[in-house]
Amino acid sequence: MSATFYERGYDHHVEIIHQRDAEARRRLESLEVTLYDAAGVLLATPKVDPAQEILNLGALVADTTNTSERVMVVLDARYDEAIFPYRPHHYAYLHRAGSSAPPLYYAINAVLGGVPDRVGATNINNFETYVFRQGPFAQRHSVLLGCLARFVPAQVQVFTYYGSRRIARDVTLAPKCHVEVPLAAEHEGERLARVEVKSLFRLLSYVVGRREDTGDLVLFDHLFTYVK
Amino acid sequence: MTPTDTQPELRDDLLLCYCTMLTIGQLRAACNAGRWPLDGKENTGKLCTACVGDLLYCLRRFGVDASL
Repeated sequence: MSATFYERGYDHHVEIIHQRDAEARRRLESLEVTLYDAAGVLLATPKVDPAQEILNLGALVADTTNTSERVMVVLDARYDEAIFPYRPHHYAYLHRAGSSAPPLYYAINAVLGGVPDRVGATNINNFETYVFRQGPFAQRHSVLLGCLARFVPAQVQVFTYYGSRRIARDVTLAPKCHVEVPLAAEHEGERLARVEVKSLFRLLSYVVGRREDTGDLVLFDHLFTYVK
Repeated sequence: MTPTDTQPELRDDLLLCYCTMLTIGQLRAACNAGRWPLDGKENTGKLCTACVGDLLYCLRRFGVDASL
């Protein structure tokens, strides 16, 4: 199960099919999409044709909700299990309509599933980090966090590093809730160098950069786990 | 209203762990029979880790003293 965030005013297209070979183009067997607002309220469960190649999130959200706020988009996709036994993930194109900011192309965050048991990969993947460029660039940074748990809230710690200083912030996310946690660009004269996100279980998480003047997204990326 | 009334429903058909394909019904049955963890489901919660919180919650609801 993968998930991302949609914000109004963006061209945001998800590439659904990404497994192809010379013999055949393999389509999803099913694709269930659910949309949640920041309070975890289910906004819609739009019907989506799993055979289509590109999912236009802007149209999907506009057609099925009346919200203008950020929406968490959860994608539960399956191939025929005889062909591809674990859950496929997706890539997406993101660009603010009319903006001179460059378009972004990113891997949608795999959250629930996607690690088949036969692989036996039991490394911790719920501690994540992101290292920022040190050159000056006019951006406001934040992390977008979402909780895909069904029953329990997530207790999250977000650590930011400025030189030798570490600033901690606690965040609690109820099931299906999401939040944008702003990261100060500087602290006591030191620039933001790194962010860490830690929780009991894996969350939906993206590190985000916005233009200082317009707020347009110029960075939208997943964080990286400590252990590979 | 009792505490039970405020607890979320644990539907047996709900897929709890998408990596080991464990349903809540399978977990409930295993706990009732004193057979958790089931053979082949030992890695539940340890792969993508996203279901760990829900797994611990369900285990406690089913009477198993669970921790990581």
